[in-house]
Amino acid sequence: MDQVVATLLNTMSEQLGAMIAVLGAGIAAGFAGSGSAIGIAIADEAAAGVMTEDPGKFGLALLLLALPGTQGIYGLLAAFFAILKVGLLGGAAVKVTIWQGIGIFGSLMPIAIACYYSAVAQGKASAGAILLISKRPEEIGKAVILPAMVETYAVLALLLSIILMNSIKL
Amino acid sequence: MAQAESYGYTVARLRAMENRLLDSGAFQRMLDAEDLQGALKVLNETCYSSWLVEMKNEGAFDGAIEAELNYVYRETEQFVPDKALVALCKMPYDFHNIKVLLKSSFLQKSGGSRRWDLLTRLGNVTPEFLIESLESEDYRLLPFGLRSAVPQLLAQWEQFHDILEIERQLDDLLFSEMLKLAAKLERKGIVEWVRGRIDAENVRNLLRLRRMQVENSRIAGFLHDGGIISVERLLSLTGEPLESWGRLLAYTDLTGALSQLQEISDFDRLIVDVEKALDDYVLRIVEQTRFSSTSPEYVLYYLWLKEMEAKNVRIILVGKANGASRDVLRGLLRHVSG
Repeated sequence: MDQVVATLLNTMSEQLGAMIAVLGAGIAAGFAGSGSAIGIAIADEAAAGVMTEDPGKFGLALLLLALPGTQGIYGLLAAFFAILKVGLLGGAAVKVTIWQGIGIFGSLMPIAIACYYSAVAQGKASAGAILLISKRPEEIGKAVILPAMVETYAVLALLLSIILMNSIKL
Repeated sequence: MAQAESYGYTVARLRAMENRLLDSGAFQRMLDAEDLQGALKVLNETCYSSWLVEMKNEGAFDGAIEAELNYVYRETEQFVPDKALVALCKMPYDFHNIKVLLKSSFLQKSGGSRRWDLLTRLGNVTPEFLIESLESEDYRLLPFGLRSAVPQLLAQWEQFHDILEIERQLDDLLFSEMLKLAAKLERKGIVEWVRGRIDAENVRNLLRLRRMQVENSRIAGFLHDGGIISVERLLSLTGEPLESWGRLLAYTDLTGALSQLQEISDFDRLIVDVEKALDDYVLRIVEQTRFSSTSPEYVLYYLWLKEMEAKNVRIILVGKANGASRDVLRGLLRHVSG
């Protein structure tokens, strides 16, 4: 009986590590995606308002609306890295301990948190930029740069997540 | 009050509508026009064109200006999350209509004629409804405290025949109702805007009363409570020379408007200049909101700009119809560009 319990616990601990990493991947993709959806919705409202009066601004507005969407992509990218690392997407099966799983989970947190908040903030910045182009369409270059500044922090978070993940030896 | 975040669409749309406001170039071209016909021709190239075609004769431009304003109010009402914001801007027109109807009724009693041509459709309540309520003496459905105020004012007229007092009480009621509505919206900026409008009206009244040389003891009744500057503070100005008003109120934002009082040569001209500066003062209270993409106060800012545009168009057209000089008219124009 004791041997059965020991085998079960051993199997669980082997899989638990991978599952914690998968949980981290899910959170990273989910939070970053949610942030992007909220950010785009904020910018969408502004774009819809401007386009009601001036449908010709669709092209310019689209460029600005797309900006908060990138965080969702970063989250997905980091999640892919994580599940590749634990060998869930083909390749040889990798044994992941609980501590390694927790490490991968932790490495995904910068991308999950920074992408969520930066996407929402970028949505607000994009909405402001859409107001700018509603009055001065010739300033589209500057209008894109302003919300793009927010992007920096999502990129830094992605970079950190990748470095942290790579630092965990399986 | 709806969350500020829900104003994203509203602010963006109003920002786009701001592009349709007449700019200084359009006003300049209207000023440069030889006569009324020339000015109307320039106006015909703007958003007013659709209303100008309905004009029966050249002199009926007031109808076109009112129709454009009415269109903007109706349009804004459709997409603004809090309709009370638009109602707040339209409320003075309801009180204007009530004043016209009451005065018409008093005139009629003394053998004069009704002046329903002065009624405006810009209010929250249609003129037809107000006429019906007054003629049937059924005041139950009148809004903004008019339900109880109108019968009281009618009784007061029967007793004292003092039209100035009736106007004063209606203005008092207007501002208290505006403050009440603004308080319900729970936004500091909106309340401040109403308080600024009360300040502007109080200063305007102070100047007019001084021109009419009304005794200081009677002035208090014409000042309205609720402004940023207290009635007591304003009353203390009555004993001071006009030149020092700006200095005495230097701690307030009104000081810019009152700087006009430094150079007094012609009192009538001075009042016109101060009135213009007071309109700018009211605009400045909500001006900062144009840097926000979700500020409800931006609705007030845009509607006030539109009101000022309509005022400018009216000033130019009336001036052109009466042969006023270009320089005089230019001096009367309000700040409109957003």
